[in-house]
Amino acid sequence: MNAPQFVLSAFVVAWLTASLRLAGPVLLAALGETFAEQSGVLNIGIEGTILLGALASFLTSYYTGNIWLSLLAAVAIGVAANGILAWMYVTVRASQVVAGLVFNVLALGVASTVYRKALGNSAVPESIGMFQPVHIPVLSGLPGIGPVLFRQTILFYLTIGLAFVAHFILFRTNFGLALRASGENPAAADSAGISVSRMRYAGTLISGGAAGMAGGYLVLAQLGLFRETIVSGQGFIALSIVIFGRWHPLKAAVAAIVFGACDALQLSLQIFGTHVPPQLLLALPYIVTILAISGIFGGKAVQPAALMTPYVKE
Amino acid sequence: MAKLFERRLVPADSPLAIFATTAGAFAAAMLVTSFLFLSYDASPFQAYFALFHEPFGTLRGFGYSLVRASPLSLIALGTVVAWRSGFSYLGFEGCFVIGASATAWVALLTAPGARIGPLPFPLFLALAIVAAFVAAGLWAGLVGVVRARLGGNEVLISLMSNYVAIFLLQYLVSGPIRAPGSLPETKLLPRATWLPFIIPGTRAHAGILIAIVAAALVWMLLSKMPLGYEMIVTGFNAAAARYAGIDVAREIILCAFLAGGLGGLAGMVEVLGSQHRLMDGISGGVGFVGLVVALLARLNPIAVVPTAILYGGMSVGADAMQRRANIPSSITFILQSLTVLLVLAFDALRYYRINFSALSRRPSPPVAEEVPK
Repeated sequence: MNAPQFVLSAFVVAWLTASLRLAGPVLLAALGETFAEQSGVLNIGIEGTILLGALASFLTSYYTGNIWLSLLAAVAIGVAANGILAWMYVTVRASQVVAGLVFNVLALGVASTVYRKALGNSAVPESIGMFQPVHIPVLSGLPGIGPVLFRQTILFYLTIGLAFVAHFILFRTNFGLALRASGENPAAADSAGISVSRMRYAGTLISGGAAGMAGGYLVLAQLGLFRETIVSGQGFIALSIVIFGRWHPLKAAVAAIVFGACDALQLSLQIFGTHVPPQLLLALPYIVTILAISGIFGGKAVQPAALMTPYVKE
Repeated sequence: MAKLFERRLVPADSPLAIFATTAGAFAAAMLVTSFLFLSYDASPFQAYFALFHEPFGTLRGFGYSLVRASPLSLIALGTVVAWRSGFSYLGFEGCFVIGASATAWVALLTAPGARIGPLPFPLFLALAIVAAFVAAGLWAGLVGVVRARLGGNEVLISLMSNYVAIFLLQYLVSGPIRAPGSLPETKLLPRATWLPFIIPGTRAHAGILIAIVAAALVWMLLSKMPLGYEMIVTGFNAAAARYAGIDVAREIILCAFLAGGLGGLAGMVEVLGSQHRLMDGISGGVGFVGLVVALLARLNPIAVVPTAILYGGMSVGADAMQRRANIPSSITFILQSLTVLLVLAFDALRYYRINFSALSRRPSPPVAEEVPK
């Protein structure tokens, strides 16, 4: 192998590794959001939920040092917080868009207030124990794909596993069918004996747990610290991934990697000093998503038909 | 047995019911926040005094409240136009950025020594207004076209178009119109392009006057003009509107253009009135806050400007509270968002009426379903 080839392959390996690394947390949040949206709820509140999950896992790890307990705390706080949201969406039947957006502001206020109360205004962020990359024996030694696929943290493998689990639940179980029916045609689901509100509560709570866990993922596997700015739009990226993945868990996994790849590529290109504006690469997945759901390419709308429509039982 | 709370078929919509639920929500949010203040060993009365005295009790602070309220009002007015026409547009962050960029571009073109050269201020302002309004109007209008002609979902598309606009801004200020220096921003715009300050000794600028004029125009449009009437009918029931001979697609595209244009003006007043340059991160969530202001004003154009002053003022007061009483300003986020969430939740109360006869001890009247033998 000559020198330029070596540099190129090293670049590609580093790029792909970073793509997968960046894709992890947003994919997790997107998987949960898929459940909410399939049940008919557009849960914009996941942005704030990720932040609350990040804080919960950070504080738990800071005080107990147990990273698995911290991950559990992130999931629990996500479910609890989205209980409030589900009540707003389903029982109060408030505008989902408004309740979700405002919830994000509330979460930001709560997270930064609690963090300051717990740790004061120390200028240097406290750091905590983290999940370390797992080197899977034999496989991680493979040239090229070894470092890319088999030297991630356990949370990454867990997330990929959950994508398959989510796919199975949504498309192969009665629960998944009932959930999708509530989002597609709630009146028909209702007359078939499905409790639409229960399904929508379930969808919202699942998305809350997943988003909370995504926050834990960010803190426990990537950053090792908490700042109120660490989420900065990743919840909205997860929303885009759900749409890009056409409300389908496995396609969402591909979408998450595409988003991650664009992000990682612009970081590397900036280091190399090329003339491609990095913003173009960053904007590309959004532009593709917009085009994909605009209906320009024909085809009927693929989103759940009752998305964002509160259901009133007749 | 009669229930104490009877469910209504339609919510109570008397002014008293609306006022009572809104006031109740405010009171409940302030009560919850009071407990937060207590946890900082601060008296809630002093904390609320600090929160409201600076923005509304001092001239300087009131000036800052007006500065914050100007872009918020314009975005909220855009929201009113869009949402009352049934167009759930969420792209105001993007419109703000596009309007701000168009304004900065016009201002840089007319700087001394630039291609066009200095213009008289009224002419420059007219040019900036047209540029910001049309650029952002077209930006949002595109989403309107997608919704009206292709059936795409405007909520999801507009949400993502924000990012495209923000990346476009990042590109502009880190490349083509970047000033020499380490920060991604343009150079300071020439003083001749600034909006005049309107209250001596404060930073309050003419942007708030632009917002008031815009509010009056939006009110006229929606309450007095056939076009606005058609828009509102479209918002209530698109099928009925189509049946009545209204060109629904045209209404939606037009309302998207107007709403986006108002969002663009918000970017313009921020650049010419407050920042005096274009920089990365200039929007900082203002598009979503403006939306919240519109909802608190219950999509009523007349209520928008006062609500924006109240909301913007609370952010100013939060900083003062942090300095004086050592209470973190993030508590204001909690107070503001809790208020909105509770307003939404309390709205559900209007679906119930209290059945006072259930309170008395008399047995409830015989029920008809007991069939006499």
